[in-house]
Formats: sequence, structure tokens, C-alpha cells
Amino acid sequence: MSPKGVTLNTNSHKIKFARRFIRTLLRMRKNAPSSSSIEEIRKRSQRIKIAAYSSMAHAVGSRRAWSRAILFKLRNRARHHGMMRRRSMKKRVIKNDPPGDQSQTNKLRQLVPGGKAMDMCSLLEETAHYIRCLSTQVKVMQTIADHFSK
Amino acid sequence: MENEFFLNPALHFEPPSASIMATWHSLSAAMDIQIQGTEQSQDCFFSSNADQSVHFDSALSSMVSSPAASANNVSNDSFVIRELIGKLGNIGNNSANNSCYSTPLNSPPKQLSLPMTDHLVKENLPSLGKSMPLNSCVAEFSADPGFAERAARFSRFGSRSFNGRTGQLGLNNTEFQKKPNLLMGNGNQNLPRVCSSPSLKAQGSQTGAQENKNSSPLQDSQEESTISEQNPNGDSNSRKRKAVSRGKKEPPSSSPSANATKVGEANDNSKAKRSKPNEDNGNGNGNGPVKAEDETQKSSADKTNAKPPEPPKDYIHVRARRGQATDSHSLAERVRREKISERMKLLQDLVPGCNKVTGKALMLDEIINYVQSLQRQVEFLSMKLASVNTRMDASMDSLFSKDIFQSNNNLPHPIFPLDSSASAFYGQQPQQNPALHSNISNGTVTQCSVDPIDTALCQSLSMQLLPLNGFSESVAQYPNFGEDDLQTIVQMGLGQNPSRETALQPQSFHGSNQIPHMKVEQ
Repeated sequence: MSPKGVTLNTNSHKIKFARRFIRTLLRMRKNAPSSSSIEEIRKRSQRIKIAAYSSMAHAVGSRRAWSRAILFKLRNRARHHGMMRRRSMKKRVIKNDPPGDQSQTNKLRQLVPGGKAMDMCSLLEETAHYIRCLSTQVKVMQTIADHFSK
Repeated sequence: MENEFFLNPALHFEPPSASIMATWHSLSAAMDIQIQGTEQSQDCFFSSNADQSVHFDSALSSMVSSPAASANNVSNDSFVIRELIGKLGNIGNNSANNSCYSTPLNSPPKQLSLPMTDHLVKENLPSLGKSMPLNSCVAEFSADPGFAERAARFSRFGSRSFNGRTGQLGLNNTEFQKKPNLLMGNGNQNLPRVCSSPSLKAQGSQTGAQENKNSSPLQDSQEESTISEQNPNGDSNSRKRKAVSRGKKEPPSSSPSANATKVGEANDNSKAKRSKPNEDNGNGNGNGPVKAEDETQKSSADKTNAKPPEPPKDYIHVRARRGQATDSHSLAERVRREKISERMKLLQDLVPGCNKVTGKALMLDEIINYVQSLQRQVEFLSMKLASVNTRMDASMDSLFSKDIFQSNNNLPHPIFPLDSSASAFYGQQPQQNPALHSNISNGTVTQCSVDPIDTALCQSLSMQLLPLNGFSESVAQYPNFGEDDLQTIVQMGLGQNPSRETALQPQSFHGSNQIPHMKVEQ
């Protein structure tokens, strides 16, 4: 099934993502020492997670709104990472909405990157594509983890 | 002009030709038509529709050649007119593309009753315009010289001139007059309501003009149904008339006695339908071909209605369905809603286990849960990769060459990578469980390896380390999500009952197998 809005997640996405991700993992391996402390592992896992999302976004390219949102976020992060730590700390004020009041669309908007500025129709479309890419990502990561854990 | 002629006399075939005869009897008397048929041609007409072409030729010749008075109890004029209509119907049968025409023609001859009643005539007269299909008939008729004569005479029935020539036809003319006004008026009125764009209106006016040209306003909507067949993309007018015609097609298959009421009903129905564009017309009666054509028309109408953005121009053409508001706001709203429902269907296919769920709210819940679970899986896997990184060797190249591309090549058979992963997990568990047991028993060393996983569990899964019952329940909620990794982590983290683990494993295995199947089908 390939309806007009959502394109097929072909092999190309998978391959691109896999390549990028593994390259990033290798780089991380080289840079960071392999320590087993919890903090290190947590930091590394966080970095790996970001690497996974960014490589997926790069694999998809700028075609999709959610991938654009991720790339934009990454670039901003890279820009402000060193310079404006204070500001970024301020920006991390989380709105404490009572969980019951959150509507479902709002939840979905929070889940899908870039979903806050979309209307319902395109939000659903982006969600569909995002789900496809996420599942691809999970599969590849699982394969990699499986390979390493053998 | 000839068109108008041919359409008018042949207008009505649905009621039994008895009524037709009576009708035309009165008309022809006024028009002073001297056409008369023979008994022979009558027999041909009534006897069988199978040999229609033959009868047609013979009847034509008989009609054209000599107006011999028939000795029947039927009046000559009415008989002749009946014949005319019969011939028109035969032509319709002969022509290739008029399946609908055949059925009304087939049915009435069987039901013909020679005695006619005037009241039938009067009632049927207004519905005359709605019956016969004549696009093809017209062409073939025009070749006939005799009919050309009558065409000239009957051309007074033409729509444009029709309203002007009241005096010629007498009483029945007024009825004729009312109907065209009704038809055209309603048609024109309906146009602005339905059209969501000026382009459609232009089309509608064009078709309105076309209708004027081609036929009298009494003219059958069946003819317009042919037009609509030719223009499937969208004459709103033709589709409306199609709805009317469907109502009109019902009477032909009914018995003559019931016809009066039915025609009356059909008239009312047609009026009601004209006021609102009609999509669904219950075809209570119906011969097979009539129904088939109705259904094809309906399906084509449904198709075109199902995809409102059918753009000949830049506007989105939306069709207001029966019983729905037709102002622009609600139309746009409906388009938006349809788009959203379309996307929800897509998502329903993507998210496993959503086939039974109906309703936007539940679907959204499922979608949100699924996305959250996927994101948790990513987080967990990254945690796992981070912890496993310690064991990463220069086997990266082998990884590059083997696994990823193998999994990519196996995309048509995606079950294999998951098989390998799942089997790997299977293989891991007996190894890891004793390892964990030993770790736990040791205490210190295990803290490094087990704790991150546990904390990851707590954080990412947001589950507490309940007894395995709780875990099995929560895992069972997502049987299809293929969270075999979650289960294995559960088992690794808890290091409990191997029997429960084995019980859970097949479930997860099957669940994970289901997902690739679903994804391949896309």
C-alpha cells in the first residue's frame, strides 16, 4: 500500500541509516574510552540515542517535516552547545500540564518531532512516516546489538 | 431539431404503451398526424424483441409507405406512436452502448394491455420526459426520411420553443410546460448549491445549455445519464438527473396497473430528489441490466464522491451528498474530515493490532502507545549498545558486510533477521540467566552489568520491577509489538522462572514474526 501522502520506506532508508549509525558508533568508540561506570554508560547511551535519531533523519533527508525538525534541532544544539549552556538550561523549563488534561493530539504532537506546528491532517501523515522509520531504526539497532552481544 | 423530435415522441416507454397510446392519441389528434400503422407491424412490435432489427425495418417500411388504417380497437394514431416508441426502443437495443434501454423496452411489451385509460395518460404525460434514452437513437433515426418529416412536426415540442407554443398542443401542453420549468428551474437552482467552484458552475451551465439543445426538458434523465457516462468526471447536473432517472427506471418493470401510483411516486421522488442531489436511490424494482447500470453509475458517482479532490481546475470539487449541508464551510469541513479519516486508515495499517479498533480516540490512543513503545525500544537498544560497546572489536567491518546488508537483502524476507535476533536471544537466555544468577549471587561484579539494565528498565519502560506476573501482564498488552527484547530483558533483569520465560518466548517470537509480515505486505 502506498497512498499518495506516505511514501514507502524502502531499503535505501535502512541502508543509509545503518551506515551512518555504525560510522557514528565507531567514532564514539574511538573517542571515548570504554568504561563501565554507570554514568558513562548512561551518557554514551544518550549519545547513541541521539546518533540513532540523527542518522535516521539524515537518511530520510529533508523530505519530511519530522526529519527536518530533528535536523534543525540538532543544528541548533550544535550551535548553542558550547556557547549558551545557561540559556539552554533556562529553556528546559517543562510545562507541567496535568496529565489528565492533555488531549491525545497534544500527546501525539509531543511524540512526533516537529509536531507542534502541524495541523491534524499533516500530523497524521507525519506520524505514519515516522512510525515506519522508527520501526526500521529499531530493527537495525536490534540487529547491531544482537551482533555485538553474540 | 430532429433530436427534439425524436426525443419527444419516444419520450415515454416506461408505462405500458397503452398509456403512451392514449397520450399520443390526444396529441396526435391535435397535430394532425396521419401516420398509421398496420396490424402487421403491430404484431412485429409486440411479439418479440428478439428480432427487433427485422421488425424494425419492416415496421418502418410499413409506416413510411402507407398509412393504412388498422382494424384494431386501438386507435391508429396512438398505435403509430406506440410503434414509434417501439422502434426507438429497438434502435436502442440495436445500439451497442445502451444496455439500460433494452430493459425498459423488454418489459413493457409483455405487459402491454391494449385498453388504455385516460387517467393513466394524464399522469404519465408529465413523466414522459424522463424515460427514453435517445442519444444513439437520435443518430439512427435521423437517417430515416419518414421520421425526418415527423421530426419537423414534432419539433414544436422542442424545449426552447416549447414554452412558446402553448396553443398548438392543447391541454397537455400545459403539463409539459410545467415540467420543463420545474426541471430546468430546479436544475439551475441546484447548481449553485452543489458547486463549490465557479468552474463547476460553468460546467453546469454548459450542461444546462446542452440539455436544452439536445432535448426537451421533459427529456429523460437517462439521456443525461448517457452524457454522464461520457463525462464521468463530472457533470453535476448529469449526476443529478441520473438520480432522477433511477427513480424513473423503477416503473418500467412494474405492472401497468400499479404504474399509475408508481409514476406518481416517481414524480414526487424525482421532485424531491431534484431538490437535493441524490446519491442513493433505492432500486426496489429493477431488471438486472437496469440495476447493473444503476450500480455502475452509482459506483462511478460514489467513486467520484469518494475522491472529492477531482480537479479539472484548481478548486477542489466536492460533492454534497444527500441529507448534508451544502454551504462552503461544511463542505470544506467534510473534505478535511475525510482526509483525516483516510490518514487514520493508513495508520491503522501501520500500527499492529489496530484492526478491531474503531473510532478516532481509540485509534489515537493506540498510535500514541505504539510510538511511545518504539521510542522506548530505541532508548533501550541504545542503552544496550552503550553497555555492549565494551565488547566491540574490529568486527565492525564484518558487521558492515554481513549483518546490515544481509538484513537489507532479506527485506522481502524480513523474518530472517528477526529470526536470527530472536534465536540469538533464545540462545542468550540460557547463557545469561545463569550468568545473572551467578552475578547476583556474587553481588559486586554484577552491579555494573545488571544495574544499568535495571535502571534502564525502570526509566525507559517506566515499569517497576514487579514480580513476573505483573511483567507478563504488561507485556501481554503488547503481544504484537514484538518486544521480544523487552521480554528478554525482563528475564535477564529478574532472572526468574525459566519456565515462565519459555512460555513467554514463543509468544514474543510469534509476535515478532507477525510484524515483519505486516510490514512486508505494505
